[in-house]
Amino acid sequence: MTATVALRPVRRWIHARQAAHRERGAVLTNLYVGALSLAIIGGVLQRQLTAIFWPADPALSGVAGLALALVYGALLLLALRRLGPVALSRPATYFLLTAPVSRRGLLLPGLRLAAVATALTGAAGAVSVLGQVGTRDALPPMTVALGALAALLVLLIAALAQTDRRGGTTVDRLASLALAIGLAGLVADAAGWTPPALPGPPAAASLVLLAGALALVVLLGFTVVVRGLARTPNDRVLESAQTAGTLFDAAFGMDPSWVTDMVERRYWATRRLRSTRPPARLPLLTGQDLLLTARRLPRLVWLTGATALPLLLTTSPRWLLAGALLAGALTAARTCTATVQTDAGNPVLARLLGLSSRQALYQRFWVPTALAAAWTTLALALLQLTGALPPGPWWALGLAVAPAAGAAALRRARVGFVRNDLLPLETPMGTVSTGPLVNSVAGPDLLLLGLPMVLALAQGQSLPWTSVLLQAAAAVLGARAYLNASTAPTRTELAAR
Amino acid sequence: MLVDVDLVVPAGAGVCVTGENGIGKSTLLRCVSSLQQPDAGTIRVFGGEPGDTPEFWRAVVTTVEPTTWYPGLTAREHAELVCRAHGQDPSVVDEALERFGLATHADAIPPSLSSGQKQRLTLALALVRPSSLLILDEPEQRLDPDGRAAVAEMLAEYLTTGGALLMASHDDVFAAASGATVTTMDALAPAAP
Repeated sequence: MTATVALRPVRRWIHARQAAHRERGAVLTNLYVGALSLAIIGGVLQRQLTAIFWPADPALSGVAGLALALVYGALLLLALRRLGPVALSRPATYFLLTAPVSRRGLLLPGLRLAAVATALTGAAGAVSVLGQVGTRDALPPMTVALGALAALLVLLIAALAQTDRRGGTTVDRLASLALAIGLAGLVADAAGWTPPALPGPPAAASLVLLAGALALVVLLGFTVVVRGLARTPNDRVLESAQTAGTLFDAAFGMDPSWVTDMVERRYWATRRLRSTRPPARLPLLTGQDLLLTARRLPRLVWLTGATALPLLLTTSPRWLLAGALLAGALTAARTCTATVQTDAGNPVLARLLGLSSRQALYQRFWVPTALAAAWTTLALALLQLTGALPPGPWWALGLAVAPAAGAAALRRARVGFVRNDLLPLETPMGTVSTGPLVNSVAGPDLLLLGLPMVLALAQGQSLPWTSVLLQAAAAVLGARAYLNASTAPTRTELAAR
Repeated sequence: MLVDVDLVVPAGAGVCVTGENGIGKSTLLRCVSSLQQPDAGTIRVFGGEPGDTPEFWRAVVTTVEPTTWYPGLTAREHAELVCRAHGQDPSVVDEALERFGLATHADAIPPSLSSGQKQRLTLALALVRPSSLLILDEPEQRLDPDGRAAVAEMLAEYLTTGGALLMASHDDVFAAASGATVTTMDALAPAAP
């Protein structure tokens, strides 16, 4: 049997070789560009961001604040479960996971990094919850530390779940349930439900006690997790490394399609399917889209639940509500556009089918549009039922705007990889590449066809049928123009246009 | 690099081009499939220039490029989709999957199949729909001996229905069994005037 080799010299050797061929300060440059982009966006949108994250008149009740914290906790747990949280870089999994080095030593730096990032996320989450709660001025700064400690507790749960597949599934389900309960609480609060009043803000002394107890639990938990670190199964570490690597690629290339592709592949890899024939009366590709949509039941359930989310924005600026409605419509429409993405990326199957690009795109337009129509209609109807909108046929606006969302979803699916050959933008503080920018707006740009709906919502007056007709005309004509201009009856390929 | 090539594939006949790696077999097939433009020379497919039109792809099937699959669609559903796109009854799919040894994997999504099974499915999709010209790049790749024999038999059958076959291969026995005339890239150079 091979004796265990000390890990530190191996790591140092690798680092020295990497440093030799890396551009000096490349990592720092990337961090600088990232921070610069955030600063520019933050500076431009300062007023709007303050209105969202630290409103002048916070309205959330204590119970709703707890619900928001629950939502953040559940999202953090789900994210950590996807990322590992015990993970390695991809090269390390290839070369070091199979090498005779100490496994605990190998996996510990990743866990340490995850702990720091999680604690910071928890603190940021606590600040953002505080910003919304009506009694925020009465709460001591200790709450932020509590947020960080609670986040570390979530990290420990995720780390323990990583070593046990069945336990992991249960944790995932509980996290989804917690997310649903938290969102339901927030929606109920926004819809006018009066929650039971909490007995005043907690005393500083009791918060210190709570923080101390939490710190003790976290410390004990970390001892257990670090001791069992070497027993983390290989397949879990490999999966996490793949996820982390894909996320890194996506962040480095500023191309989120890497991540969505991975999520999509993993979803289908875990499904057991039974071949079904779509209704023969429907156009061929419409039937195919319908079949694929029916197979995305979890997504449909979440989408249905998400129709209540715009209720959370009834006190926010109106443009934000309109933007959320359009984003929701696009998300619903994108449920089944992976087929378009496949054909746009590699037209092998499109050639085998022998359909023209115009036939294909028109046939694939209907299901996304129907999904967008259903989602937006339901969301607007809920807003109106809870009294958040002035009188008028708002629900019909959902049907009218749907073709725009359908076309936007198709355009988004056809966009392909980020182009890095576009001219960079020179700013006084550095260079910003335009490829990711152009890529990210392709698709959502067609949502501009929903401008009549945005204006109607922003005006905040009763809605006349003429506005609905205007919206329908803009969406239908715009979508038709896009479909006709970007396809041809004499061509099969569907690449980005 | 492809220089001095002269080739005619008549209807109902098959031609198999052989030769070592990098000699230009795939480039020739890509040019005939319209997936690559030659710098000079003329290519005619059924009297017209090859191009990315629906009419061209209704007559021509090629496996020169690696296949991608629709996410969430099973092997059988892929085959039925191709059938229905060409106005065929999808009931022929069962027999095709059976002949390609995929009947027990009909409900699997293609990415979960082995590389040999994926190759079988690619060929099944190519042969299940009507066409007039098959352009296949090393169809015997990744197939086991039984699979090769079965595919060669089906290609021979395809030729008897009047279809034309142009393929590249490294397996002379397979090429001969599929009824194609075996030629080398060197032999395709036009005779000196």
